[in-house]
Amino acid sequence: MRRSTAAAVGTLTGAALIIGVRLSVATPAAPVASSASVDLADPNLDAEPAATGTAAAGKSGKKGESDSSGEAAGSSDEEAAAGTGLKNGDHQGTAVKNPYGTIQVTIRVSGGKITAAGATYPTTADSATINPPAIATLKQETLQAQSADIDAVSGATFTSESYVKSLQAALDKAGA
Amino acid sequence: MRHVEHVMGTVVSIDLADDLPEPTLRALVADTCAWLHEVDARFSTYREDSEVSRFRRGELDLAGCSPDLRHVLDACADLWRATDGYFDAYAGGLLDPSGYVKGWSVEVASARLAEAGSVNHCLNAGGDIRSRGRTAAGAPWRVGIRHPWQPDKLSWVLAITDGAVATSGTYERGDHVRNPRTGAPARGLRSVTVAGPDLALADSYATAALAMGEPGIAWLAKLVPDGYESAVVTEDTRAFTTAGLPVAL
Repeated sequence: MRRSTAAAVGTLTGAALIIGVRLSVATPAAPVASSASVDLADPNLDAEPAATGTAAAGKSGKKGESDSSGEAAGSSDEEAAAGTGLKNGDHQGTAVKNPYGTIQVTIRVSGGKITAAGATYPTTADSATINPPAIATLKQETLQAQSADIDAVSGATFTSESYVKSLQAALDKAGA
Repeated sequence: MRHVEHVMGTVVSIDLADDLPEPTLRALVADTCAWLHEVDARFSTYREDSEVSRFRRGELDLAGCSPDLRHVLDACADLWRATDGYFDAYAGGLLDPSGYVKGWSVEVASARLAEAGSVNHCLNAGGDIRSRGRTAAGAPWRVGIRHPWQPDKLSWVLAITDGAVATSGTYERGDHVRNPRTGAPARGLRSVTVAGPDLALADSYATAALAMGEPGIAWLAKLVPDGYESAVVTEDTRAFTTAGLPVAL
């Protein structure tokens, strides 16, 4: 989990750097409906503590029709850190449409450096199976070796010859 | 009524639990066996005169195929896509749909039984099971999953009414499942069981996951929204199950 978070942040930071160049232009609101997959207030990230969305949202003039996780678009501190050209604050990239929905990247700049990155992702029925919250996993348990009253045995396909020695053959004999 | 039939290179155990007159049950068993032998005759790759063999040799074109063979070919193509190519009816170069046909034939056999009045039965084709309704005692069918090292022991017991349970493993016929991408024998998983609505799909999914090796565990998780639960044992004896596996209490 920790590693995948790091990988996601790495990827998003790269994307954010590209988007960052265009941040001064405009940051349209995007029709995305779920929270950022990477929490910008995540203490594991090397970010200055800040409540996600709230303070920035207050400054934001207008918001998109659909509320996109409370991240306000393009609000930033006036002061740009010297040398980097990056303005402090939360910056939202252009919403990008792909076959699975709309994805929008948000970065947090603090002290002229990108300190956190996140992205919204779609949660429509079509995309639910390919997005992080929907992917379940198998749980590990202890392998048992039990005997029980059963009606049939499922196992790797036996041949006509090896059937004779199988548990299913014993069941068939007992039930005949 | 119980019956054991040697067909398709394995053994099919038929268990009809309906309260029907004995001649009726006998006729249902006979019809089921006739269908399974028909499938063997038409789809076996070991028979020179089977429909599949003739299609392989180019003596039949797609238009000349029976609707059943066209269904099998379509299903194999769909499964190739659904399994990232790990279910591959052309893995050996020539068409061999056997990995789909056995499960499908039993799925059809069960549907035919239901249509003919047997709504409580359990068919077991060499370890791949399709059941409907309940046992004669009125309980769900209890399906044991064979322990992958101890033939007389079970690693799980499932309670199934209407559904399929299919297992693919390396312990019965050795390295018969290969990774179609490398051609090498499947490694990493000892046994894969898939439980779900359709035996043909459950069986094919289990085989594909076995061919994938350990990445197959994560792949199986993606089948849960479609109603396919699974249980896996790795070669180093770790066991995994999906949360919704219908384990008997």
